[in-house]
Amino acid sequence: MTGYWRLALLAPALIVLAIAAAQVILAMPAFGHPLSQYGTTVNALAPMIRNVSNMVAAVNFDVRAIDTLGEESMLICAVTATVVLLRGHRGEDMTECAGRLAGREWLGRSAATVLMCRLMATVVFLYGVFVVLHGTVTPGGGFQGGAIAASSFILIYLGEGYSVWRDVLHSEIFAAVEGFGGLAFALAAMVPLAFGYAADQNVLPLGSWKDLYSGGLMVIVNAAVGVAVIGSFGVLLLEFMEETRAPKPGDEDDEDQEEGA
Amino acid sequence: MNVLAWCVAAWLLGVGIYGIVTSRHYVHMIGCMTVCQSGTYVLLLGIGFRWGAGPPIFYDTPPGTSAVDPVMQALVLTDIVVGAAMTALLLAIALQVHKRRGTLDPQHLRPLRPRE
Repeated sequence: MTGYWRLALLAPALIVLAIAAAQVILAMPAFGHPLSQYGTTVNALAPMIRNVSNMVAAVNFDVRAIDTLGEESMLICAVTATVVLLRGHRGEDMTECAGRLAGREWLGRSAATVLMCRLMATVVFLYGVFVVLHGTVTPGGGFQGGAIAASSFILIYLGEGYSVWRDVLHSEIFAAVEGFGGLAFALAAMVPLAFGYAADQNVLPLGSWKDLYSGGLMVIVNAAVGVAVIGSFGVLLLEFMEETRAPKPGDEDDEDQEEGA
Repeated sequence: MNVLAWCVAAWLLGVGIYGIVTSRHYVHMIGCMTVCQSGTYVLLLGIGFRWGAGPPIFYDTPPGTSAVDPVMQALVLTDIVVGAAMTALLLAIALQVHKRRGTLDPQHLRPLRPRE
């Protein structure tokens, strides 16, 4: 199909979409005056009955914790699928160097880059853990903090180069960390069932408001999500970086590439 | 002003779809899909917004202060996390397609056939 036909088919679809969108927009409630009783109720009650100050965490890890468990499973499934697609073509073993364009000069890494990356990787990782741990108190939580902490791995790659990076970080560790996080969340949902409560019912002591320990079971769920996100993002980064390493003579079947071209 | 947020959300969805249809490269197409998705962020945050309200974090402000809808913010968080994972999955698929077919232009890709 040529570009002309694509646009010709798109035009009526966009016209229909525009009409439908206009209908919906005119029927929407006025901007800035929400009618949602759900959110208003959470804002009014959660600080009292759960002793937490972050309402978004209260929704994610308590009120809709089963939803978040499903989301967590989706995240782990997507990461697993990505790993299955990427792994295997270049083998599992490590090589010394990353792939490089032939003829491009190798300038080395400046001492300032190495120093800053080592310092910042530590700081960023600790900050990510801080954001995870304070998830029920201040803005943040497992998802955001986990992503921040995982971004420190990229700084290690930037500062140390491919080979050291592969020496320090192993996919088995990340996979175990990811699985442990997912398992901890699933257990937090299931264990209350064994004692006759509802799934994910908040049965632990609630702690005190504005304290690091506040929200009871939410603390465990939040930490589990943080651990799982660190593991997932670590696995993803590792598998994508593996694609940049120099191929060795036997570990890649690129012959079907020429076939398809 | 009342309908601006909804119009922005619809516009983002529209330009994203236009980008997907006219795309000549899979990575560009994945970027366009992310643009479509950001329309949902605008829509959800717009639904939860309330004039003069603060964040739904009662740390500096006492509980009971007017705050925006936390459910919508939690949904946007879900949206972003799943979106990031899906983007990674699609990029992995794009890598494999490029390895096997040598191109990422949808125009030049033919249906998958068993290997001969």
